[in-house]
Amino acid sequence: MKERGADSDFAVFESDIGYSTYSYLFGDAYQDRYFNFGIAEASTMAAAAGMASAGRTVIVCGYGVFLTMRALEMVRSFVCYPNLNVKILSSHGGVTAAIDGVTHQATEDIAFMTTLPNMKVLCPCDPVSAKKAFDLALETPGPVFVRLMRDPLYELYPESAEFHMGGSHVVREGRHITIASYGDIVFQALKAAEILSEEGIEAEVIDLYSIKPLDYLAIMASLEKTGVLLVAENHQARNGVGSSIGDYLARKGISAIFDHIGLEDTFAESGDYQGVVDTYGLGYSNIADVGRKLFSRKG
Amino acid sequence: MKYKPYLGMQGKKMETLKLKRAKELESIAAQLRFHIVDMVYKAQSGHCGGSLSAADIVTALYFEIMNIDPSNPAWKDRDRFVLSKGHACPVQYGALAMRGYFPVEELDTLRKLHSRLQGHPVAGKLPGIEVTSGSLGVGFCEAVGLALEARLEKASWRVWALLGDGELDEGAVWEAAQAASKYSLDNLTAIVDRNGLQNDGFCDDVMPMDSIVDKFRAFGWETMEIDGHAMTEILEALQKAKTVKGKPFCIVAHTVKGKGVSFMENEREWHGKPPNDDEYAQAVLELKGVRI
Repeated sequence: MKERGADSDFAVFESDIGYSTYSYLFGDAYQDRYFNFGIAEASTMAAAAGMASAGRTVIVCGYGVFLTMRALEMVRSFVCYPNLNVKILSSHGGVTAAIDGVTHQATEDIAFMTTLPNMKVLCPCDPVSAKKAFDLALETPGPVFVRLMRDPLYELYPESAEFHMGGSHVVREGRHITIASYGDIVFQALKAAEILSEEGIEAEVIDLYSIKPLDYLAIMASLEKTGVLLVAENHQARNGVGSSIGDYLARKGISAIFDHIGLEDTFAESGDYQGVVDTYGLGYSNIADVGRKLFSRKG
Repeated sequence: MKYKPYLGMQGKKMETLKLKRAKELESIAAQLRFHIVDMVYKAQSGHCGGSLSAADIVTALYFEIMNIDPSNPAWKDRDRFVLSKGHACPVQYGALAMRGYFPVEELDTLRKLHSRLQGHPVAGKLPGIEVTSGSLGVGFCEAVGLALEARLEKASWRVWALLGDGELDEGAVWEAAQAASKYSLDNLTAIVDRNGLQNDGFCDDVMPMDSIVDKFRAFGWETMEIDGHAMTEILEALQKAKTVKGKPFCIVAHTVKGKGVSFMENEREWHGKPPNDDEYAQAVLELKGVRI
């Protein structure tokens, strides 16, 4: 934001977690365009809608759990309905806030945000894709929700990597099964692919960084090649990307060996990140297990 | 309905002109009240009570106070009116039509399929609607965002937000009140239509607010209390709003819900009920000045 602040006149709205989201770095550089509304996400979002209605792009920063639930109605009726240029940078996506416990884990955010008309949803997984997602959000008209993690995990993409709305990247090629994921779980999927590779199963891993619109063409192309599709995500299994893809397959009459991994109608709990994702089946070992089972059905 | 600004004269002559103008605005407000009842009757749905209580305030804003150009609704430097009590949109739709934003005949389409006159105000559909509102508490937050934008642009336009007194139950109102105070938004005026009634009954029973001016004052606002049906008081308060410096300004306007139609006045059930044929006929007679 700070880098882009020089050549773009967007404003940034914050609800007293600027030192957690690091939005303060923008605030220090552009004090006149940085507004801290205190611990008040609902009014922050509605005020952002008010400013955006006068034509300015407004970036709202915060934790996903608050922005997508406490302020959900403001996002729906006053940002998405009038199709305003409000860009939501939503930290602590999924259980990446593992250590903070359930109150700070946004495990239903994709369901809420992808359901809203006019909303576009991005989920980068590393520093390069996060920067590019911000640029995409800025240049795409209308509301955009960018799901971010609590902490950076790994670096995956080179600076030269290109991203576009509705795109995806094959981050590992394989011919036996397809594992589609997004955000932090991309790395769990890559590790699962390594485990499977040792067993002779070559998994193709796709990073679905654009969740809405979703790159169905790329998913179907990979599925055509491998015949097996597993979606793994840091979100409730219900109403996430996996269930959307299942819905797509059913409506298109595509028969496939398919499953998806997410939180199974449960809340998580506090703990270290890998401990929590493993406990709730989102980690690499469960992804490898489910992938192996799906592969065995191929016959 | 010709728009006539003050002539800026001094002394007694000015007082006479002010009174004359107030009288003119009162008759415009009476016409606006007719449109409110008429459109809600034709829609057989909508909110008469809270529209009628706000008719004098909205008339003063649209016909005297706000810096607007109905022939150019997108004019950059226009004042922005935000109807935070969005259910009272018949009063705003009526005023917009009478000011020439769209044909008066279009008021007959209120709440009907494909109409630009949605059940609650929707920005982008109808000229003159600045923000989508109607979920109580939200419009006021949007007004704060607009006032911040004017500040950021170093622009001279002002933001006028009309709130209901029942609406003050919403916590977001007080979040926004804090933010307006923090940012010293003296380009923002909140007018509370203090008609004392909300959907379920008297505000004092549903959720007592006690002194609204004390509350806003405690949140760092300049405040004023007026009779929301006395045109000269309304004009004076709205003119004062333009002179307050360093603080947002809240006008608590004491009003009568359903004002102007005897059987609707101070009656809970007229919050959101359309009149039937007989009630409509009587209301029209009363609003045209023939009390029966």
